[in-house]
Amino acid sequence: MKNTRTLGKYTLVAAMTLLSLIPFYILLYLALNNPSRTLFNGLSLLPDFNFSNFSEAWESSKMGLATLNSLIIAIGGAVLIILAASSAGYAIARYSNKFHQSVFNVLLICMMIPAIIITVPLYTLMKSIGGINTHWAMILLMASNGVPFSVFLYTGFIKVLPREIEESAIIDGCTPFTAFWRVTFHFLRPVTAAVVILQGLAIWNNYGQAVFFLQGQDMRTIPLAVSMFFQQYGAQWNLMAAAAVIGLAPAVLAFLVFQQYFVKGITAGAVKG
Amino acid sequence: MNLLRKLWNNLHLFMALPAIVLFGLFFIYPLAQGIGISLTDSNGMSPPRFIGLQNFVDFFHDARAKKDVYNTVFFAIGSAPLLNLFGFLYALILDRPFKGKGFVRAVVYLPAVISPLIMGYVWYFILQPDRGFLYHLLASLHLGTGGSDWLGNANSALLVLVFINVWQFVGMTMIIYLAGLQSIPKELYEAGEIDGAGYLKSLWYITIPMVVQSIKINVVTNIIGSLSVFEIIVALTDGGPGYSTESLSIYILRMLYGSFTGYSTAVAMILFVMIIIPVFLFMRYINKKEFEM
Repeated sequence: MKNTRTLGKYTLVAAMTLLSLIPFYILLYLALNNPSRTLFNGLSLLPDFNFSNFSEAWESSKMGLATLNSLIIAIGGAVLIILAASSAGYAIARYSNKFHQSVFNVLLICMMIPAIIITVPLYTLMKSIGGINTHWAMILLMASNGVPFSVFLYTGFIKVLPREIEESAIIDGCTPFTAFWRVTFHFLRPVTAAVVILQGLAIWNNYGQAVFFLQGQDMRTIPLAVSMFFQQYGAQWNLMAAAAVIGLAPAVLAFLVFQQYFVKGITAGAVKG
Repeated sequence: MNLLRKLWNNLHLFMALPAIVLFGLFFIYPLAQGIGISLTDSNGMSPPRFIGLQNFVDFFHDARAKKDVYNTVFFAIGSAPLLNLFGFLYALILDRPFKGKGFVRAVVYLPAVISPLIMGYVWYFILQPDRGFLYHLLASLHLGTGGSDWLGNANSALLVLVFINVWQFVGMTMIIYLAGLQSIPKELYEAGEIDGAGYLKSLWYITIPMVVQSIKINVVTNIIGSLSVFEIIVALTDGGPGYSTESLSIYILRMLYGSFTGYSTAVAMILFVMIIIPVFLFMRYINKKEFEM
């Protein structure tokens, strides 16, 4: 009885794992095939292990530049989100007054508004501040998108953190402001990891707004570069798949680095708070 | 000098300012402007004229918009409950101790890490009629491949889109439920066992009430995410065949490209209301429930 249950459990888990991995297998399969072989012939499940697709995709669609653009925007945006959202979360959680409460409520309501809804006026704004096709404006925009949920996470997390953490620092002569940056901030690591994963990846994968505000060829981010491949060279699936693998590799890597803190951050920030 | 000192000592009261400025400039301000634009016949070129609620009246006579509302709602009604059901089941399974737990959790979450656009392209390869992976798989297993044009057929295409959305984001939902499950004190289950509660009973009376916070976050994010669906559809059907799988957010962008700026913004406002209402009703329902427990 116990054995069949264990067996059943592992079969279920194996099925879940496989289901999640199939598309990754397909992507690698296509990316590693010879250009002549774009289809699945019968059930030959092994690709040709032709690595030239990667170099060709890299060169023909300026993937290097796209990766650099994506990195600049994602890192800049994530850093800005962490600084702005953690300090806002601290003020809201520790110094609760009417003003902070209404800031929190407005952010909470705005979490429900998808970015697409403000595209038109945003375009006018971006044009008037000269932000179209620039890294800095995209960083600011992406950061503002990520602020509400991140403030929510930080506030929840700081609320369950004991006050003593910064109180002794304040007795030792810190102001509440410096106590936060010198002491409390270091305790926020799990939630910061969760913010990096959630928001960093959201920025890395952003397509809807990049399409509008990064139209210049040299400003393309990864999703734009890959989608160009799909639209312009529709038949060359191997190259497109290789480009996609190049584009998702940094995201997967970043996820694996930060994921050990991830559940902890979500638990304390969103679920308990 | 004294004033500076005072400011420095009270700097914590201004710590929310950077977030407010950032969010105010790039979100609140455009949102307020958008409400204004939706009341004009703006086309992005000639000076806009105030036309009151005309755009909203037009919306209700727009057959394509009606179809898009139907598609969007269909997609959301398909996605949100399935995501929560499977996310919860996944979390229950992966909460139990077994070898390689961390690995499996990471793998299940992995699809949510990738851009829905790229994942959409991959599924496009899989579902190609007459040559995709699924076609070949079914053919070599002699399972029949009749009607393999899953994306070309309006009815099946919508279902396929729901499936892919659930597949991609089940890990995200799972993580939030997992976080909820892990914050339940084990003593509760022990107490339940002493009272003679079986698995299903303790699931109903202990687990589900204790993960209410996770349910809230998941349901709200799923409602928002599925009603504003965009990339998956762009990658797989681009709204086709015809407009049969077009969502409201795609329509908003199409109208925008077509220089119907005022109308497009009005549709965006309608989408906003379509999201706010179910979220509000759900929150009210669940907060009431919480008090009863």
